Parts: sequence; structure tokens; C-alpha cells
Amino acid sequence: MPSNVSASRLEFLTANRKMTPAGTINPAFLERLRRRDPEALAEAVHDHARPLIRAARALGFAEHDAEDLVQDVFTTFLEKLETFEGRSQVRTWLFGILHRKAMERRRASIKDDRMDPIDEVFESRFDADGNWTRPPADLERLLLSKEIGEMIRGCMGGLPVNQREVFVLREVEGLDTVEICKILEVSVTNFGVLMHRARARLRECLESKGWSKP
Amino acid sequence: MISCKNVAKLLMSDELQAQTWWKRVEVRLHLAMCKFCSRLARQVEQLRSGVRKMSEQDEADPNLEERLIRRLSGK
Repeated sequence: MPSNVSASRLEFLTANRKMTPAGTINPAFLERLRRRDPEALAEAVHDHARPLIRAARALGFAEHDAEDLVQDVFTTFLEKLETFEGRSQVRTWLFGILHRKAMERRRASIKDDRMDPIDEVFESRFDADGNWTRPPADLERLLLSKEIGEMIRGCMGGLPVNQREVFVLREVEGLDTVEICKILEVSVTNFGVLMHRARARLRECLESKGWSKP
Repeated sequence: MISCKNVAKLLMSDELQAQTWWKRVEVRLHLAMCKFCSRLARQVEQLRSGVRKMSEQDEADPNLEERLIRRLSGK
């Protein structure tokens, strides 16, 4: 059955989606940070604190805990500056520290993720030829509602931490695949698997809220 | 012809851009013809704007940077 969605409306899928590129590290700026130049420190905080807080909040940390976590990230960053060789960007490094600190605080570990029940749920929607047997419900009413932010927050709680991180770094921060893989120390293949599972889980969760059109 | 399942996998894993030009065209043609896959494609986009809305609600207070700088400088 032909869809009433025009090809131009689908342009967003096949066009190059704009990702936030990593800025380049200026060696002079790095040197100023190493000397604890207050202006350089202020610049680093102004450039990166807000995205880091936003990511920490999206990972489920309450406001006060998120700020505490980000302060801890900057403290570690300053302590380790001597060993920073400038091979990665400051942002990549800061998000990498955030990732490790968040895991420590949650006492989380990356579980063996070769198997995930959500894969079976996804598979069960198709027949042997790859045709939909249980097509996606129409969630337009929910996805365009004012409450969608809160609904997604509720569903995010059900995501394993690594899926949540991949989803947040890509969809909220708009980072590209290479940078996310560096931050989380995962392969590109693993990134694809985690994104797929995160979206599948969020979709299933929203669909289970029963907001679909009859 | 590419299957719905393969289109869904490409959409959800964010791997479409890494595909060949021909594969991307194939996916576009499929989306133009398939109501359910194009619905899924829209949902992927709407999830993105939804999670951004969630994040906007978490916007930190305006004095965040000054407070952090003060605390970090005191160390």
C-alpha cells in the first residue's frame, strides 16, 4: 500500500544529519589550563558544564547530584591535565570522565550484552521474510503531546545504562558516532546495536502506555 | 527489494548514513511505499525531539557556571 508520506518528508532520513563536531584543542589553551589560569578554567566551564549537566540529568541524576557529579568531573579533569596529551578533544575527554564517574556512582557495570530480550521483541514483529506481522502502533498523539518529555523520562529509567548513554549523547548532545565510541570505549558495531536497542525499548515502552490510536 | 525488517534495523541503529548510495536510495523508495516503515521513521525523529524536550525541562539554573568556577578555584 503506497504511503501518503512524500519523498521530501523523508529527506531527513537519508540526508546527512548535522552532528555537533568536536572542537579542536588549542595547545596554548591547554597550557593555560595546566597553569591553572582562572580565565582558561572559566572558559572550559562555560563551554562544557551545561552539556555535561544536561547529560547527567538525562542519565537519571537528580539536579543536585548532577551538579556534584559535574564538579567531580572537572576536578578529575584538572588533576589529570598533566597526562592529557591533546590527542582527543576536551569535550570527548570530559564526557569520558563523566561516563566513568556515572558508572562508579551507580555501581553499574556493563553487563554481557550479547543477548538482550528486546532483540526478541523486535524480531517477533516480523515474519520469516522480514515483513511486519505486528507493525508499529500509531503513536502520533503521544509523541506530539505536551507530556512526551515526562513520558520519555519514565521510559528512560528502564534502559540499561550503556543504551541510555548512547541515546543521550547522540539524540540530546548530537555527537557523532566516532566521538561517542571514544567516550564510551565501544566499537562502531556495538554503537549500532546499543542505539537500536535503546530506540526499540523506548518505542515499546511508549507503545505500552496505550496512547496509540485505536 | 529490501525487507521491512532490514529497513527498521537501519533506521533504529542509525546506520543508514554508513550505507552505499544505492542502499540509501533503496531505503528511500521503500519508505515512500511502506506505511509502517515510514511511520517508524517518523517515530525515530519524534523520539529525538521528545528526549530533547525532556532535557529542556532539566535546564540548569543560570548561576551554574559561576558556582562551579568558585568551587573549583577554591580547591
